[in-house]
Amino acid sequence: MVNDRGQLFTIEGVAASMIMLFTTYLVLGATTVYTPGDSHISDMQLEQIGSDALKMMNTPSNCTSTSCVSQLQAIVNESDFTPAGQNQALIDFNTTFLNYVNNRTGSMSDNLHYTANITFRDYTDAANPNSTGSYILAFNRNLTGVEHPVRVTEWVLIGPPNFPQGIVLPRNSGYQPQPRAVLVEVLLWRD
Amino acid sequence: MIDDAGNLSIDFLVGFTIFMITLIYVATLIPTLFIGLQSSSIDYDAVAYRTSVILAEDPGMPYNPSWETLPNISDSQILRFGLALSKDTPNILTPEKINRFFCSTEFVYPTDYQSRAVFGDYPYQFNISLQMAGSNVTQSIGDILPEDTIGRSVGTYGYSRRVIKVKEHSNATLDFSNFVVNTGPTPAPPSSLPLGIYTQNATTQDFSVYFNYTYLLNSGPDYNSIAYQINPLAPSGANGLIGGEGALINLTGLQALPKNGATVNLSSISIYKSISEAPLNTVQGSFGGPELPPKNPSQFLLYIDGNTTPVTSLPCNVTSNLSLYIPPGLLSYLGEGDTSTLLNVTMQFQLSQQDWYLNSTQVTPYGAFNYNYTNPNITQPHLEDGVMEVAVW
Repeated sequence: MVNDRGQLFTIEGVAASMIMLFTTYLVLGATTVYTPGDSHISDMQLEQIGSDALKMMNTPSNCTSTSCVSQLQAIVNESDFTPAGQNQALIDFNTTFLNYVNNRTGSMSDNLHYTANITFRDYTDAANPNSTGSYILAFNRNLTGVEHPVRVTEWVLIGPPNFPQGIVLPRNSGYQPQPRAVLVEVLLWRD
Repeated sequence: MIDDAGNLSIDFLVGFTIFMITLIYVATLIPTLFIGLQSSSIDYDAVAYRTSVILAEDPGMPYNPSWETLPNISDSQILRFGLALSKDTPNILTPEKINRFFCSTEFVYPTDYQSRAVFGDYPYQFNISLQMAGSNVTQSIGDILPEDTIGRSVGTYGYSRRVIKVKEHSNATLDFSNFVVNTGPTPAPPSSLPLGIYTQNATTQDFSVYFNYTYLLNSGPDYNSIAYQINPLAPSGANGLIGGEGALINLTGLQALPKNGATVNLSSISIYKSISEAPLNTVQGSFGGPELPPKNPSQFLLYIDGNTTPVTSLPCNVTSNLSLYIPPGLLSYLGEGDTSTLLNVTMQFQLSQQDWYLNSTQVTPYGAFNYNYTNPNITQPHLEDGVMEVAVW
């Protein structure tokens, strides 16, 4: 007697499962999954470049027994509260910093954007000697809020008698005429 | 009685078996796939970062004598490449290490670089390149990059870029084109001569260059930072003729010096050494030497009158210019590691008749051109900008 017992009615199902399995394997094998955790790699690379750039800007190219001033020190010194000083500092920092962070080996260059500001101890407020002041040093694009910047900083030693220049220090301001450090902070991002 | 109660359908068995096999397979496959995808890129970036740190921030191993001075890689004395000037000066590299590192005829890619810079058991492919700012010449070793995109970070290859500076060594350039003899009762040094140079009306004239190792090693700018220091005792090679820092002395416009038409030849280059400070104009009384054969300038690179072939024997006629390069390591070799060494390199000129020419014996206080940090005719060591990239895949 011949009937349908023991017959495999789902050969299509078996074939479909094999196809799906094979497809899954191909898809997973051919796809790069960029997980949120991976973003730290590009962030790290940006931090490395920005940190290197600030460090090299703060390393004098020429140094003699009478003069040893880095590009960053010169820029911070000239970035006083006068419009002319700020404009010159903006131009100098913009040119120098972008050269450092965008230069690559070969003919192509990178395309990074930044904003930089300076934070310093503010001696003008005699009532609050520990207050800090800050102002924008330079930028080549404004932050709109959708960027994902990294933050790099560099302490810079400066030597003018009063920083920012042009201000009149109040009496008993606590200011000591000696070299002091200001913080240059850069937010750096790639489109 | 036979019936179908308790029997399993073969369809069910087949389906369930396929389901279980699939479930097990997928359960084991998916983590493996993800781990494989993620680990490769993360590993490549980590290896690229590690390699860039080794190259930019480490002076390499061995350090003294420095690895770039060792004559042959086959003896396996070079344990780790590193291009930094010292461990205290990250991102400041030396040209000697850079040139040796990128010497593709000496080191074999990838084996020599894998075991001394990239490390790891996995057979990575990589590309390491360096370019100075303002130059379109790129030094590189390794494979061609699989894809040259800007700003990629994960996927194709691991990547690290470092902003660097390269220390360029000092040199002295003395130009005599505007030389005018001062008329007067005494042969006063003309004002048109560079600082530390004297001239005299004679047939035999000595021009000496003076290296005071104690001064050079302790009086450098920026609190004696090694980045700006003229360091005659920089790590040197086993044979003393490679590695370390060199000194370049350029004399130009020499044709303006003889006023009576004398012809000039450079008859010898002698090196005298002392460990006590004494004026050299006392006929090098406290100095011993010469240390090397005075008539054989092959230990230097001596170029005369623009000829691109170094002079190998003396005497030799000199008309317009002379370039004496004391190669890296020779100063260190001559100093034998003694920081109190005083070195006097004397070029002796013979003139066909009495005439005005280079003579430093009357220069105070040492009777020599002092190779130091303050002489305006010496281009001091300085740093040039550059960028280095490491790609690993």
